[in-house]
Amino acid sequence: MVVGGRGTVAPPALVSRFSPDMADFHYDPEKNYDEQTLEQQRHIEQEVASTQALVSERLSLNQLIKDYSMEDNIYQQKIQDLRSRYRDIRKTRGDGNCFYRAFGFAYLERLLHDKSDIPRFKEVVNQSKTDLVALGYPQFTLDDFFDTFLDVLSRVESSCTPEELFDTFNDQGVSDYLIVTWRLLVTCYLQRNGEFFANFLEGHRDIKEFCCQEVEPMNKECDHIHITALTSAVGIPVRVEYMDRGEGGLVNHHDFPECSKPAITLLYRPGHYDILY
Amino acid sequence: MAQDQSSLLLKKQLNELMKNPVEGFSAGLIDDDIYRWEVVIIGPPDTLFEEGLFKAHLVFPKEYPLRPPKMTFKSEIWHPNIDKDGNVCISILHEPGEDKFGYEKASERWLPVHTVETILVSVISMLADPNDESPANVEAAKMWREHPDEFKRKVGKCVRKSQEEFVD
Repeated sequence: MVVGGRGTVAPPALVSRFSPDMADFHYDPEKNYDEQTLEQQRHIEQEVASTQALVSERLSLNQLIKDYSMEDNIYQQKIQDLRSRYRDIRKTRGDGNCFYRAFGFAYLERLLHDKSDIPRFKEVVNQSKTDLVALGYPQFTLDDFFDTFLDVLSRVESSCTPEELFDTFNDQGVSDYLIVTWRLLVTCYLQRNGEFFANFLEGHRDIKEFCCQEVEPMNKECDHIHITALTSAVGIPVRVEYMDRGEGGLVNHHDFPECSKPAITLLYRPGHYDILY
Repeated sequence: MAQDQSSLLLKKQLNELMKNPVEGFSAGLIDDDIYRWEVVIIGPPDTLFEEGLFKAHLVFPKEYPLRPPKMTFKSEIWHPNIDKDGNVCISILHEPGEDKFGYEKASERWLPVHTVETILVSVISMLADPNDESPANVEAAKMWREHPDEFKRKVGKCVRKSQEEFVD
């Protein structure tokens, strides 16, 4: 199951923009399409960025009803089920970073109200940085990302208001630096527990290759393995409510790690994560 | 804000390189613009490029380090992985694409943790060890494979030219 962002966001305008070329497209194995692919990806990213905030305001779950047609019984039923347990949703941008952004915002927002977990978490972050240096990562860039991350955390600890946290997460520069750091926390945990996680990799990749291809690069979506690693690495349990097209009318959830008491709850819809309240 | 961050990080890197120069290259700014660097790469010892003093430009996007810089040699250089306009085509300067055709191993692509130093270390190692599987200069790749003597002469010319230009 691949989850986390891009799949849901192909605005109709883009389809028309690219389809004329596609009509007389013949694949030439001698040619390198990489630049074109990146270019097209860039267009999609810009389109998404202009219509979706990195992190939205808290919205009533009633809003979700409008996202689906009234005839869509499966989803309408599931929204009702969701509403029996949750009130609000906070949406994140579908840019492939949505899991990290949702997870990060939900956790720091929680810390605003209960600061008791901050010292423990800071220690985890600092230890991961030390471990990454030991794994051969350049201290120089690690400092840059981790300093920003710890700075935001310190502000949460001292004087940050909910509005300031919201602004921080919607400031693309800082917000993306936080994403890089979460990704580094995942890569660190995966590599330090490589023997265990290697069992879950498909294909012929080793854990280091997997991290370089699927974890560290920006905009790479989050899969089960990433969530398992992140929640274990930072000791922040999360519940994910899965709202998909499956029959039954109920939204099922999964807790990471299993049998934990979740600190935050996210809503998963195929390809995307948002925050639930 | 992304701009503040990238310029700050670049400034820090430049200061660090001034304080603790790394063997094999030197770096400075073009027109005092923190996003445009001129580097001089010293041809690695025991290679055909030995003693060359190759000028190259690094142009950083505002989204650096989330996106990679572009690197272009300004000195004439003959190498399978540098196209005829001087553009360096190595995997770590490319973002990981969904597309798996053509390019080198995705595991060696751009990552936010890369620095100017790690880029240049890769470029220097590329000079020493061309990758002819995905050449940017097909003619150079062919010559490197099939006519090593001719390749050597051609590179030797570039080395001398780079030295002369450097003195000017």
